[in-house]
Amino acid sequence: MALKRVLPLRTVVATSVGLALASSSFVAAVQVASFVAGDAAWLAILVAGVLCTLAALCFAELNGMLPSAAGLRLWLGRAFGPGVALTVSLLYMGVLTGIVGVESYVISHIMVVVLPFWSPAVWIVLMLAFVTLLNLRGVKLAGNFQDLVTYAVLCSLVVMAAAGLARGHGSLTTPLSPGSVEGFIRAVAVGIFLFVGFEWVAPLAEEVTEVRHISRGMLVAVGILGVTYALFTVAMTSLVPKGALATSATPQVLFAGRAFGAAGVVWMAVLSLAASLKTFNAGLISVSRFMYATAREHALPSVFARLSYRYFTPWVAILTLFVVAVALSLGVLWTGRYLVLVNMAAAVESVVYALVGLSVIVLRRKEPDLARPFFVPGGMIVPLVTVVVFGVLAAAVLATDRRALLCLVLGLLLAAAYVRLVVPRLRERARRARLARRRQA
Amino acid sequence: MTKVASHDEISKSLRAFVDGYNRNARLKAMNRDWNRTVLVQATDIPSQHTLVLRDGELTLLEGAAGEADLTVTAGSDLLADLFAGEITPTEPYLDGRLKVLGREEDIIRLDFISLMIWGE
Repeated sequence: MALKRVLPLRTVVATSVGLALASSSFVAAVQVASFVAGDAAWLAILVAGVLCTLAALCFAELNGMLPSAAGLRLWLGRAFGPGVALTVSLLYMGVLTGIVGVESYVISHIMVVVLPFWSPAVWIVLMLAFVTLLNLRGVKLAGNFQDLVTYAVLCSLVVMAAAGLARGHGSLTTPLSPGSVEGFIRAVAVGIFLFVGFEWVAPLAEEVTEVRHISRGMLVAVGILGVTYALFTVAMTSLVPKGALATSATPQVLFAGRAFGAAGVVWMAVLSLAASLKTFNAGLISVSRFMYATAREHALPSVFARLSYRYFTPWVAILTLFVVAVALSLGVLWTGRYLVLVNMAAAVESVVYALVGLSVIVLRRKEPDLARPFFVPGGMIVPLVTVVVFGVLAAAVLATDRRALLCLVLGLLLAAAYVRLVVPRLRERARRARLARRRQA
Repeated sequence: MTKVASHDEISKSLRAFVDGYNRNARLKAMNRDWNRTVLVQATDIPSQHTLVLRDGELTLLEGAAGEADLTVTAGSDLLADLFAGEITPTEPYLDGRLKVLGREEDIIRLDFISLMIWGE
């Protein structure tokens, strides 16, 4: 009997690119540029892309072996046990919520430039409320909408970058000399943030016509993202002074204004809004479904497993996330410290990629007989390099930002303590309730 | 050693699931517009069943019938326990023993139905 699985490769690529392509990416792109000399940011971005390709190969092997919407949680659980898997997943979801905070900060500032009659705080609440409403009603910004928006944003960015470079007459400052080795490593480390999310396409493994589409889609997406970001970042730094870009939360708008005037600003605002709505929607869906599944296995309070009887969406989890996202976004707006969240996301993402590489190694030894439709070539070289490189990159990011390091350590300790102390109690309570129900029945 | 359930035991659990569903008027009303075909297959014994949901009514068929919207695959013992409400689907799903293929919203709906029939 055939399964009516529907998503084609085109949509897998669009989903992978779309999840990584956010308004806040340009803030990180400028940070990459600030670590290197002249207009050499493209080198660091392409190197970050190549490194993410190594991680994508590891994701592809795990996804082919165990295709599931549970993705990372399942692979880490099989490799290191359920406790480690839950701890890392909690931290990962926390950081994902943090990205929504950064994204709303950036997009609210862009909206204020174009439509200045509301303050950034009002824009934040309005946009998050809109996406929350979509989520509560079970509307997914996916499929054809996702394809259309992603490919439109990509084409626009490439055309704007080419036109911007042409306006600067292609005169670049030391495009092949990135400066110090230390600066370059830091640039590559922050460059990882630009690709954050390409792997979130893995949960679609249950919805594609061929599981191999996910592996191919991730690799194609990383390539497209690398080239687009590299071009656009060089165009930005060649036309606008780095100092001005670095002090702005909306560098892409500065560039668009300089290159194309008011029309460029409006078009960039439209692109950014579309990209942000996609990011919000994907972020809220991922985290709320994670909360639902975690509550169903009694690792979070059961209230988060409540589903709407009308739309079959986890409404308590979605509303809780709305409150947390608004609080976080307003906190970022108030303090202006969005780069801490960017660095935390880059570091956690690097740690997750390193763990994925390690999972490939562990599972090859632990479960050698499991069918692997995709096998990373070259023996253990790629997973080993993935572990080492991403471990070093995580350390490099955290070495530049003590606040991010402190927040991350605190987050990890909290998640570990929760898994060790609270989860067993929740499970025991659920077991007793189940027994009591059976006795009554 | 892994326990193995028979095809008849899986059939019995699935019948309990179908009866539980069809006794629940609220569930039937909620799923009136959710027409789906679910293939349930065991990995360790030759056993296939099809659950067909049409206009709110759930029926059980022997073997594979038609094109499935969802496939539920697991060991026979797990399937028997799962559809009898002895265990919740989340834990085996998260550790990879239970595989469910289909659209995410359909998977959540099926989980919801199981929650409504058997409780947490």
